[in-house]
Amino acid sequence: MAAAAGSGITVPRNFRLLEELEEGQKGGGDGIVSWGLENDEDMMLSHWNGMIIGPPKTVYEGRMYSLKIDCGSRYPEHPPHVRFINKINMTGVNSSTGVVDLKSVPSLSRWKNSNNIKMVLLELRQHMMLKENSRLSQPPEGQVFRN
Amino acid sequence: MADQGAADPGNNNNNNKPEASEGTIIKVTVKTPKDKEEIAIAEDASVTQFKEEISKRFKAKQDQLVLIFAGKILKDGDSLSQHGIKDGLTVHLVIKTAHKSADGGSTSASSSASAQAGSSSSSGPSTNPTSTAGSNSSAAPTAQPPNVLSGYGDLASLAGLGMGSANFMELQQQMQRQLMSNPEMLSQIMENPLVQNMMSNPDLMRQMIMANPQMQQLMERNPEISHMLNNPELMRQTMELARNPAMMQEMMRNQDRALSNLESIPGGYNALRRMYTDIQEPMFSAAREQFGSNPFSALGGNSDSGAQPSRTENREPLPNPWGPPNASSSPESGGGTMGSTSTTGGTNPSVSNPLGINASSLGNGMFNSPGMQSLLQQISENPQLMQNMLSAPYMRSMMQSLAQNPELASQVLMNNPLFAGNPQLQEQFRSQLPVFLQQMQNPEALSVMTNPRAMQALMQIQQGLQTLQTEAPGLMPSLMTGGIPGVPTGGSVPTENPAPSPSSAGTNPSQQQQQLMQQMLQMFAGGAGGGSATTQTPEVRFQAQLEQLSAMGFINREANLQALIATGGDINAAIERLLGSQPS
Repeated sequence: MAAAAGSGITVPRNFRLLEELEEGQKGGGDGIVSWGLENDEDMMLSHWNGMIIGPPKTVYEGRMYSLKIDCGSRYPEHPPHVRFINKINMTGVNSSTGVVDLKSVPSLSRWKNSNNIKMVLLELRQHMMLKENSRLSQPPEGQVFRN
Repeated sequence: MADQGAADPGNNNNNNKPEASEGTIIKVTVKTPKDKEEIAIAEDASVTQFKEEISKRFKAKQDQLVLIFAGKILKDGDSLSQHGIKDGLTVHLVIKTAHKSADGGSTSASSSASAQAGSSSSSGPSTNPTSTAGSNSSAAPTAQPPNVLSGYGDLASLAGLGMGSANFMELQQQMQRQLMSNPEMLSQIMENPLVQNMMSNPDLMRQMIMANPQMQQLMERNPEISHMLNNPELMRQTMELARNPAMMQEMMRNQDRALSNLESIPGGYNALRRMYTDIQEPMFSAAREQFGSNPFSALGGNSDSGAQPSRTENREPLPNPWGPPNASSSPESGGGTMGSTSTTGGTNPSVSNPLGINASSLGNGMFNSPGMQSLLQQISENPQLMQNMLSAPYMRSMMQSLAQNPELASQVLMNNPLFAGNPQLQEQFRSQLPVFLQQMQNPEALSVMTNPRAMQALMQIQQGLQTLQTEAPGLMPSLMTGGIPGVPTGGSVPTENPAPSPSSAGTNPSQQQQQLMQQMLQMFAGGAGGGSATTQTPEVRFQAQLEQLSAMGFINREANLQALIATGGDINAAIERLLGSQPS
């Protein structure tokens, strides 16, 4: 649904999401993050997949983390719901469900509607490189969070 | 809103391809963190087929490839269209190395895709070069010179960088850095027979080391170093060590043990400490500032076991300067043939340069590669490069040592496959070698080589001669004896010798040509250079030293000469050699 046109020029939700989709398909993530619609027929463009390549020199290196991103009806005014699929041990990520608490990721804690999915993924990757996270011991690869 | 949303989200490309056109080729961009390639593939292809193409292009094994699109990992059984991959879109590629662990959990929660090497990740640098090589090696065929280094494993990518900028100091430094961080590469390099050959010649090594001004400084400050260098046994052992990391460790262990033994001897600890402060510290600091990183940390000592405190120089932690820095330099030799004149003190330019260049000239295996050919071409086309190469200080020292070591040089060149099929050529070249080498040092020759017109003129002469030979074979001998005006051909020898050799392998004209060249060379040596040496035998060069030695009572001139040659003219060292004792 289009966002209310009251506050200046607000790009309608679907426009935004379409743009993001396009960027994701064109490889906007530079090989370190990737995102796209989970289902091509998702008319609401709500359910997205994300992928983060673990940054080098951290304990996440070499791993590929899948995420589920849900852009609600009030995106981009409201941040999306982000959840890790592959098990990860990191601050801000619920260790049993994989849900990411955006407030604990400083760069995402104050969500702006100019933020987008790419940002979320990149910031999460940065978050992995923080001292507090980069050396946490990780569960073995291949494990996933139960729904 | 539903309409907008419904506008086929996947249809983001510009051309309106009818969906029913199966079998059309689409161009998909494949992106790695380092690289990007466009791959053409059929629209209805499967992920497996796509991976096949990718593995060819990126020179990686198919099972090392992980493809990601729109946040999903592409499984082999899927098809491209299933994921909505269309023309103009980008797919992300991750190339796993054996160390790299990949988490393949896909969104459909089937983690079976991941079932790959799951060991803990290795150091970043080691994976980077590999994937760089993987992704850049595809770029290599398009830029020929990089192939020169392809024999050295992962360095092809660096070559790509280096050749582009013709700044080989940078290249060297990069390589060194990479090497330092990558023990695998190091061992690869050490295993290269080329390197080993080079390292097994202690004299050569020593000369190279000594020729380096930084090394000379070091030597001035610490005479023990020069002692060490002059001790061939020690050198040999050291090189063995460098070659064999296991042995090196063994040595170090021995040394540690010996050290601890020493400590327990009454008064031994003091002696040790004294030794350390007197010898090791200044050495450490002197070497460190020149060698940059601390190679000492890796080595700690030289070949001799430490339990001989009287022989102080053996304690010296002269850290195998040809350990990591060494090895790092030698492979970049091929690229290093074209060094820049800037002598920025890099990480380990000091020792490495001479060795690096040397390996290149010794790089007989490398002449073989098409890369080298193109390198030669490039050189002849680009006088600037030539100039850079020749004026590089290490090049000079290499030339010098080659000049002094005619046997070595000839050996090297004989092994050169270029000459392999042509024994006459070999002979000719062998005899010309000393002359040739002298000329390389002659600045005149250098300037000629850098002058493109001069080079062209030389080529013309060469061609003219060839035609003459075919037209009037009888004319040649008379021409030769008649004495063609001294035309410098020294520079043209390397580029032209390979040229005639394939075309006139072992035929008469080639022989004559060689003779002609020889004459020209000699004339040149006598003429244009003016002052610089004609062929100097070692006897001539060491005349003064020989006299001194005989005055001291060493009557055996032959032995004197040998010793002088071996020590490069250093009388003291020669004396010690003659006396059959080790320097102390």
